[in-house]
Order: sequence, then C-alpha cells, then structure tokens
Amino acid sequence: MTNALHVHDLCVTYDREVVLRDVHALLQPGDSVALIGPNGAGKSTFIKAILGLVPASSGFVEVLGTTPAKARPLVAYVPQIDHLDARFPISVQQVALMGRYRRIGWLRRPGRVDRAATLDALEQVGLADRANDSFGVLSGGQRQRVLIARAIAQDAKLLLLDEPFNGVDSVTQDVLIEVLGRLRAAGTAVVMATHDISVAHLACGHACLLNRHQVAFGRLDDALTADTLKATYGHHAVMLAEGTALLSTH
Amino acid sequence: MLGIIRFLTEPFAPAYMQRSLVISLLLAALSGVVGVVVQLRRLSFMTDALTHSVFPGIAIAFVAGESLFVGALIAGAVAATLLTFAARSTRIDQDAFMALVLASLFSIGVIVVSRHRSYSADLTTLLFGRVLAVDTADIITTAAVAVVALGVLVAIRKELLLRAFDETGAEAMGYSLLRIDLAVNLVVALVVVAAVRAVGTALVVALLITPAATARLLCSRLQSLMISAVAISALAAWLGLVISYDASVHHGIRLAAGATIVVVLTALFAVVAIAQALRTGMARRRTLAAVAT
Amino acid sequence: MRHLLDLYDSGLLRRALLEAVLVGALCGAVGAHVVLRRLPFFTITVAHATFPGIVFASIIGLSELVGGLAFAALLVVVIYITTGDQNLDNNTAVGVALAGSFGLGVMLQSTQDGFSKDLTAILVGSVLTVDHRDVVITSVVGLVVLGALAGAHKELVFRAFDPEGAAAQGYPRLLDLALLLAVAATVVATIPAVGTILAVALLSVPAMTARLVTRRVSTAMLAGAAYGAASGVLGLTASAEWDFAAGASIVLASAMLFVATYGVVGASRWTTRRRAIQAVAAA
Repeated sequence: MTNALHVHDLCVTYDREVVLRDVHALLQPGDSVALIGPNGAGKSTFIKAILGLVPASSGFVEVLGTTPAKARPLVAYVPQIDHLDARFPISVQQVALMGRYRRIGWLRRPGRVDRAATLDALEQVGLADRANDSFGVLSGGQRQRVLIARAIAQDAKLLLLDEPFNGVDSVTQDVLIEVLGRLRAAGTAVVMATHDISVAHLACGHACLLNRHQVAFGRLDDALTADTLKATYGHHAVMLAEGTALLSTH
Repeated sequence: MLGIIRFLTEPFAPAYMQRSLVISLLLAALSGVVGVVVQLRRLSFMTDALTHSVFPGIAIAFVAGESLFVGALIAGAVAATLLTFAARSTRIDQDAFMALVLASLFSIGVIVVSRHRSYSADLTTLLFGRVLAVDTADIITTAAVAVVALGVLVAIRKELLLRAFDETGAEAMGYSLLRIDLAVNLVVALVVVAAVRAVGTALVVALLITPAATARLLCSRLQSLMISAVAISALAAWLGLVISYDASVHHGIRLAAGATIVVVLTALFAVVAIAQALRTGMARRRTLAAVAT
Repeated sequence: MRHLLDLYDSGLLRRALLEAVLVGALCGAVGAHVVLRRLPFFTITVAHATFPGIVFASIIGLSELVGGLAFAALLVVVIYITTGDQNLDNNTAVGVALAGSFGLGVMLQSTQDGFSKDLTAILVGSVLTVDHRDVVITSVVGLVVLGALAGAHKELVFRAFDPEGAAAQGYPRLLDLALLLAVAATVVATIPAVGTILAVALLSVPAMTARLVTRRVSTAMLAGAAYGAASGVLGLTASAEWDFAAGASIVLASAMLFVATYGVVGASRWTTRRRAIQAVAAA
C-alpha cells in the first residue's frame, strides 16, 4: 500500500527568507494529523507545499506515491472560510458540485451521477435542504460544511483543511468531526491546520508541531507534550496551551 | 403613445441606421455576457488595459493598409497573453505592471499613427469607432467573433466559475489558473476586436463594465445577471441611437452615436444606483424608527 | 554628444525638455504613493475623467486646466463618498466612471466642429507645444502636491501600512481624500505633456522601477523622481531624433528603464538567493 503522504527534510524559502525547514512526516491511508503552531508558524505554507503550490527548496514531498502536482486530482483542499467572497452569485449545490469538476473533465457538463453524489455529500453535512440557496445567505459554519461537502464529493484520498474549526458553531463542529471520522474509516488521510488542541485530540491520531521548523511529529500523545508545546509556542503561551492540553486528556 | 413608438422606431428607416442597430444589439448580447464574467473575475482594470493594448495592432494594420480586424485580432492575442502574465506576476506590483504593459503597447500604436499623414483624424476614428458607418461585412465579422467568444465561455463555464469563486481551491484541484485566465482574457480581447469598427477601442470598455455593474445592483443569480446585463445593454444601444439620431435630425445637434450609447449606459447605472441608495436609506430609517418605539 | 546638444539648441525644445523633466520628476515622486496604495486603475479613471472636463471647458470658453481639474475633483469626491472603506482597486464604481467619462467627452466633442486636432493633444499629449504658462503651472502644482505629501508623509505611510490602526488612532479618512486629490492634481498637470491616456504610465512605471531598488517610501519617492526625469530626457531626445510622438516616446523610455533595472536587480537577487539556499543546505 502506498503512503498517503511522505515528507522528508522539507525546506521552503520565500525570496531570501527561510519560512519552514526540517519537516518530516509519514501518513498512511486513514491517518489524520493536526498541524499545530502559532500564527506565522508555517502551517499554511506546509499545506501549500503538499499541494505543490510552493516549491520545496530542498527535501521532498511525496503525495499518494507521486509528486504533489500529479496527485492534485486525488487531493481535496478546504480553504479558510473567510478567504471566499460571500457575495459571489453562486448556489450551495454549485459549490459542492465543484468537487466533481476534475472527474467530469474539461468541456463536459455535470451528469446525473455527479448531481446525485453532490446531493449525497450535502446530505452528509446536513445541508441537502439548502442546495438551491445562495452560498452567501448561509452562516459561517454552514458555509464551512458546504466546503466539506465539496471535498466529500471529490472522493479524495488526501484531505487538507486550513483552520476548519475557526469560528464555527457547535453543530458544525460535531458534523465535521463525524464526517472526518467516516472519511478516515474509508481510507482517506487527513491533514488539518488548527490552533485548537482540544479539537486535535478529537479529530486526529497524529500531531505535527511547527514553528518555522518542525518541533515534533508523531502519534498525538507522543508528539504533544508540555515540552514540545513550550518549544512551539515559547515560554509565555505555554501555561495556556498546557491548560488546554491537560483539560482534553482528562 | 403612438408618438413615443414613432420616436423609438422612426430613426431606423434608413438602411445605415438599421445596420447600426443590428451591430449594436449584437455587441450588447456579446458584451453583456462577457461583462458578467469580467465582473465576477474583477477584471475591470484588465479589460481597460486590453482595450488600450489592442490599439497598436489596429494602428499598424491601418498604416499598412491591411484589415483592421486582422490587426486587432493579432494584437488582441499578444496583449491578452502579455497581460495574463503581468496580472499573475508575484514579484512586482501587478497593477503597476499592467499599467506598464498597456501604456507601452498603446504608445507603440500612437508612434505608428504619428508617422502617418492625417494623424489626428485617424487616431480619433480608431479610438472611438464609427457605428453609423458599419457595413454588412462588419456585421458578419462581429457575429462570427461573438459566436466564437460565447462558445469558449460556454465550453469552460464550470472551470471559470470555480476559478472565480475559489482561486486556491481551483489550483489545489490541479487546474492551471494560467490556462483559464488566458482563455478568459482572450475572450475579452475578442470582444474588443469585435467592437473596434463600431465603438472603437476606447469606448468598448463601457460595454464590458457598465451593463454588468448595473445588473449586479438589480439581481444576484448568475443567469439573471447575464440576462439583465444583455437587456440593459440592448436598451442603451437602442436609446442611444434614437437620441443621437433625433438630436441631429430634429434639433441640429450632432451627437456621436457610439458615445451617446455609452452615456445612456452610464446614466442607467447612475439612476439604478441612486434608487438603490435611497431605498436602503429609507429601509434603514424605518428599522431605526421601529427600534426606537 | 555634440549632436545631442545641437538638438536642444532651439528654445522650443529646451522648454519641452524642462516640462518633460518637471513632469517626470513630479509623477515619479507622487507615483510612489500610487503604487503603494494600488491606485493605477484609479489614476486611469481620474485621467479619463479630466477629458470631458477639458472638452466642456473649451466649449464654453473656460480654461481647459480648470475644467479638467474640476471634473477630476468632482469624480474623486463622488467615488470617495460612494465607496466607503472598500479598496479602489478593481472597484465597480471606478470602472463605471472610467468607462463613462470617455463617452461623455466624445459626445460633447462631437457637438463641435473641427475639434479633432485638440482632441489628439488631450489624449496623447503634445509636449513640444507647451507654453511658458504650462511650465509654470506644472511647477506650482508640483510644489503644492509634493509639499503636502512631505508634510503628511508619516501619516500617509502609516495609513497605507495599517488602515485600521490609523483609524483607531483617530486619523481621519480625509487623509485618503487628500491623497486622491493630490493624484488628480498631478494628472491634470501631466496632461499637456503626455495626455490623458498615458498619464497613468508616468504615475506608475517610474515608481514601480524605484520599488525595485529601494523599500522605503521616502527613498522610493526620490528614486522615482530620478527615474521619471530620466524618462523625460530620454523620451524627448528620441522623439526629436526620430520624429516620434513625444508623449509616447517618454512612456516607452520609462518602460525601458524599468526593464533594464529589473534585469540588473533580478540578476543580483538570484545570486543572493542561491547563496542563502546553499547556506541553509550547508547548515
């Protein structure tokens, strides 16, 4: 069986500046890793490197046994919700349908199978009844769920999420965790950037701690310790971070 | 009532006015649809840059005595490609870079025309077109270009939608943004090419921006946006031609037809925008009053 | 070299040269803010908006300068009021104004016979026919605009870098209006030399070139002024030598200066970058 994700000694530079270095990671199908670190730690950069949108200046990233660029059709990406224009004239179903585009191909129109798969995906996130509504009238959490539905419709082998739990309601949080669990059971690997350690405990088996370099990578309980958190967030933030970590392990 | 109908139809008795109307309505249909894409992709600046950048092709063709259409077509392809790369540059300020491309290309056009005898008259004809002087061949060319441009849009509509809605998402799915952008910019360039004879390179930008902007104030669904943009553009074309004809025939004031169409379009936008502003203002006051009581 | 000096023997060309250098330097300096605040699109719109103003003024017998400035200022105020805090980059109102201005100008112009010679001068400039008055106006506008930009320099930079922070500290949004009006005044002062369509080039290309060689706004204004003045000299000389349209030559000269600078800076940056990567690899 091929690895879902294999990263070896990755280093990324923008201009003259090294923004991320020493990153190693290995994920099997069905594994799930939380990328944890402060703002500007390189979480989004790491996700972009997995997508092949920023080049590795040294080391390598292998996705589903091939290069990031070649693997893209099998990789689903869920952007941060506030990066999208809420006023864009588009319906909920149209957004979810985008997940099928690569499968449909250039110049062809979506068929009945695609529509059924899209509706099924919306059903899974509890929004099938909103299919014909404008994307913009939904709440932030509901929009996040539509994007998850898009990823489900894509039927990807690797799912990348950028801060999916940021500012969402508790219904959405429950739906997300349930859906992620189901996808993992079906063999999809998950990479999720988050700053919420309790969420990491609920949704992920692995953790990757970043602060412009990799502090730790491994099974959640091994990687996420008081020491690694201190190394990631620096002395000041440790008390808070430790507090959350202790809370969620109780 | 009959008077109004006569006012609206009488100008189209002469054959040249009929041809003007046909080509204006064709351009309205084409630019209304493409204009919605321009708006969704936030390409107003790109559109303006393209209109100026097509100019050298027309200028060279004009001076060399070749077909303006072919010159515009070649320049449009070159300009769309250059500007697509300019807009995607990450190292330099994109909009300043686009300004550089558009001004340089336009300057080349001006220099070419400036070496020619009747510099001033030529320059203004190329810039502002002559809708009243179009012939049947122009109409056929415009129709053919419209079919090609709309065909491309229909063919790549879903990729276009995805790219406009979620850039990173499209890239993450493995789409080449460059290819999609290039296709769209080429389509916009085609509209400029189609409109060269009728409204010139400087006025076509209004057909591509204003109807869609007005439609956006009125509705929010993609299909209704396109339908209303085309309708608004067609209405302005009709009214513009009628007003320009009426002013010159009955009142002795010459009004350039193409420019009048543009002014009518802008006026329609202003009326709708002001009406909208008043309505939201009144709604807000009503809410405030309700809260107060 | 002697040949070049001979070129500028005539008083006419010397005055054109002075105007080209003044306009180039002014635009290069003001352009630093245009590039910083992403205003090239807005600048095109303002330049287009002067066009109906100029036509209207000349029809009713007013000074073209006053007409152009009045229309540009009116447009700036309308856009400023209607857009609120949205950015002016790719803004719909700006686009509609840009598209509509030319239509209005051409429609007004078409009512007059025999306007088309002047029209060309307005559209693409005519630096060779500037008179003493134009040079004085350019100098005065330049002094006022640069004085204002220098006076409010640190506030403008703060506002550009962090709009919310500036608002939180109580800086009024009027600061933006002042900047937009300064850009409009510069555009109007530029029109006799390069015309309405090409003004945007001088207000963004030299400043963009300056950004390649310096990162600070103040030094970018100085470098931009130098690049702008150099574009004026090079462009006008080429135009006199080969009988090109002068405004267009100046614009092409500024573009070539950009390409040359980009090449030099790009090459040196590439070397530094390689060295940085090697250093990381070695560490």
